[in-house]
Amino acid sequence: MKNDFRMQYPLWMMGFIIALGMFTYGISEPTTKVINTEMEQSIMIEIGSVDGIFAVGSVILYFLMLAGFSYQLMRHNKQNPTQKIPFISFRPPEYLEQDEGMTYITRKASQKVYTFMSWSLPILAIFAMFSPLPRFYTVWGILLVALIQYVIYYLEIRKHFKEETQ
Amino acid sequence: MLKNRVKELRARYGLTQSDLGKQVDVTRQTIAFIEKGEFSPSITLALKLAKALQTNVNELFWLEEEESNEK
Repeated sequence: MKNDFRMQYPLWMMGFIIALGMFTYGISEPTTKVINTEMEQSIMIEIGSVDGIFAVGSVILYFLMLAGFSYQLMRHNKQNPTQKIPFISFRPPEYLEQDEGMTYITRKASQKVYTFMSWSLPILAIFAMFSPLPRFYTVWGILLVALIQYVIYYLEIRKHFKEETQ
Repeated sequence: MLKNRVKELRARYGLTQSDLGKQVDVTRQTIAFIEKGEFSPSITLALKLAKALQTNVNELFWLEEEESNEK
């Protein structure tokens, strides 16, 4: 069960969020130069060296992770033909709902995430409205909330399976 | 708190958690959660477990306060 892809799914999502956070940092302060003359029309975007490493590196990291994620997903679907996970789904595939015991654990984890969301989103909204910091920090705030929700969910599920194996 | 004798009766009949899970159509993990008292099964599952372990629900599950009242 611990090797079940649905158990690992939150870890993959955390990885993708971190890659997106790195990309956000990389493109946070590009220099934009617009040339609009009779002879030339062009837009030049200049990214600093450190920012560039983050921007390009995060894109490479993202695609490497996407390849690994796709491979694991296909392997899961091959091994579990009755419990296939679609590549894109509105319903979070990390829900464990094979029976009432699994549904109970999923509900407990989801309740903890909901509790976290119920106070973190209003705080983030207030921060976004009144903070003098650049928009980039708000994006990071959203990504941080998304990351923490997966951490909460994963730790709660893992706790039950850890206890079970002891 | 709901107490149970699932582990005791399962051992008596020489069943593993997976065996019992297959009989009542749940995962091995759910049997483990029930045995630890971490999860209270539905009436349907309790009846299925009682049938699989050749007993009745009252013998298999009871409330902890009942146990202390009887003493």
